[in-house]
Amino acid sequence: MEKKGRRSFLEITTAFIGGVLSLAAGIPLIGFAISPAFKKGESKWVDLGLADRLKNSRFKKVDYTFTAKDGWVKATKKRSVYVTDAGNGEWRVFSRICSHLGCLVRWDESKEAFLCPCHGAIFDKTGAVIAGPPPDPLQKLETKVEAGILYVKES
Amino acid sequence: MRYAGIKQFLNERLPLEALDTHLRKPLPKHINLLFSLGSLAMFLLLLQAATGAFLAFYYSPSPEHAHNAVTYISEEVPFGAFVRGLHHWGASAMVIIVVLHLLRVVLYSSYKAPRELTWIFGVLLLLIVLGFGFTGYLLPWDEKAYWATVVGVEIASTAPGLGDFVAKVMRGGSEIGAVTLSRFYALHTIWLPWLAFGLVGVHLFFVRYYGSSGTPKNTPEEMKTGKPFYPHQVFEDVVGMLILFVILAAVALFVPVPLEDVADPTNADYDPRPEWYFLFLFQLLKYFQGPFEIIGTFVIPTVGMLLLLFLPFIDRSERAVLWKRPIALTVTSLCVVGIVVLTILGGTSKKLETADAALQETSQPTEQTQETAETEEIEEGEAVFDFQLTEEEIEGAKAVEE
Repeated sequence: MEKKGRRSFLEITTAFIGGVLSLAAGIPLIGFAISPAFKKGESKWVDLGLADRLKNSRFKKVDYTFTAKDGWVKATKKRSVYVTDAGNGEWRVFSRICSHLGCLVRWDESKEAFLCPCHGAIFDKTGAVIAGPPPDPLQKLETKVEAGILYVKES
Repeated sequence: MRYAGIKQFLNERLPLEALDTHLRKPLPKHINLLFSLGSLAMFLLLLQAATGAFLAFYYSPSPEHAHNAVTYISEEVPFGAFVRGLHHWGASAMVIIVVLHLLRVVLYSSYKAPRELTWIFGVLLLLIVLGFGFTGYLLPWDEKAYWATVVGVEIASTAPGLGDFVAKVMRGGSEIGAVTLSRFYALHTIWLPWLAFGLVGVHLFFVRYYGSSGTPKNTPEEMKTGKPFYPHQVFEDVVGMLILFVILAAVALFVPVPLEDVADPTNADYDPRPEWYFLFLFQLLKYFQGPFEIIGTFVIPTVGMLLLLFLPFIDRSERAVLWKRPIALTVTSLCVVGIVVLTILGGTSKKLETADAALQETSQPTEQTQETAETEEIEEGEAVFDFQLTEEEIEGAKAVEE
């Protein structure tokens, strides 16, 4: 009876120490691996070019680059947006990334809509979803004009 | 009720009761804490595998990225310095524990029949551990990494016949670079772990198949009259693991892992030194010069390893504790003292004051050098002997020739 009690104590203590060890090693390791999820992205203003040259009542596709820290690398990132101005100083810059699953949308002048090549999503000229599976409208980027240059906020 | 249901479900599908009976098999009567060293080595192998697998999330095996990635891990990733610390100091702990485990086996002559195969696979695992060390410390791509690998590969190149070929295969070419780093990474993270776990599997199979050897004090009747492996031995093992982990965690937290400047193949001012567990070999090489070089680089390490590997077939004496075997005691003591003394000598050996000072004493500057020194003002740290032409200068020279 006493022997059985001791054995049971050893079994429970062994399992307890095993659990402590797993947690003591596991928590830092998991934290190490998932930490990028908690990292706040740095937002910065990136110039798209002279506002006068970008003025257009139709959507213009603009590609641009900017440097950003990518882990241990200072990387040059490429982005693509559609730009138009409503004429009253209000700029509309839409990310081309479909809000469904990340494919790049294309502006179709004849249909006056953004079409996604992947799952048939369609967005109107305000970025709102007309058809297809996307849950959200196209991302509209924050803009500002300074010294005649159009900037978008990258985050 | 639910627990009982799960237990029944598993019992119907898996031989859990047989496993339980197997784990509770009694150990020899005379056994002590030294018999936990094997479990500690296993624990460290798992810890190295886990920390290594996580470190790989942030590592890139290329000369352009490796050093920056390791700096990033150490300085920017949450828990990065701790995880890297566990892995780095864990490697040293592994060498210590594995060697102590080997010495325990020698002490109680546990390698003798019928456990020769257990021993052989154990020695192969020792080689794997050293292989992990050698391939691992190139990965940060700092000065130590680069130069220790240069020397290590050169040692391999002195092997008779195939030496040069082996060195080229190790480097993936004629010099250490991107291909070397890539293949060392592959060896360190894929090949050696697979080999290690395979060999551990075989080693453990033999350990369980032949049973623990116990100390030589056990009579044949006492071999199966001790405490059960589970939970008694396992309990002692996990307590040992906990103590080892606490020590390692403290070292990882309070002793920063060194990271030297990024590898520079032209840095003649750097004094290469290997990791502490290769210092004995580093020191040994100094005593064999000229045509005798190969004795230090190849003959002694190879013969030593072969003797170790086949020890059970060389030492055929009766099983007894080490101090009752005068020859074994003398040889083991000489080897241990020799390795310790060589390690201390290697670790404390004087480094060159500066490489440049030695150069100035032994050679005169050439006319061209004097000319340069007189006509150009050279800033400290600038490349003094850089006579390389720009593309425009080469074009100009070609035009003049035509």
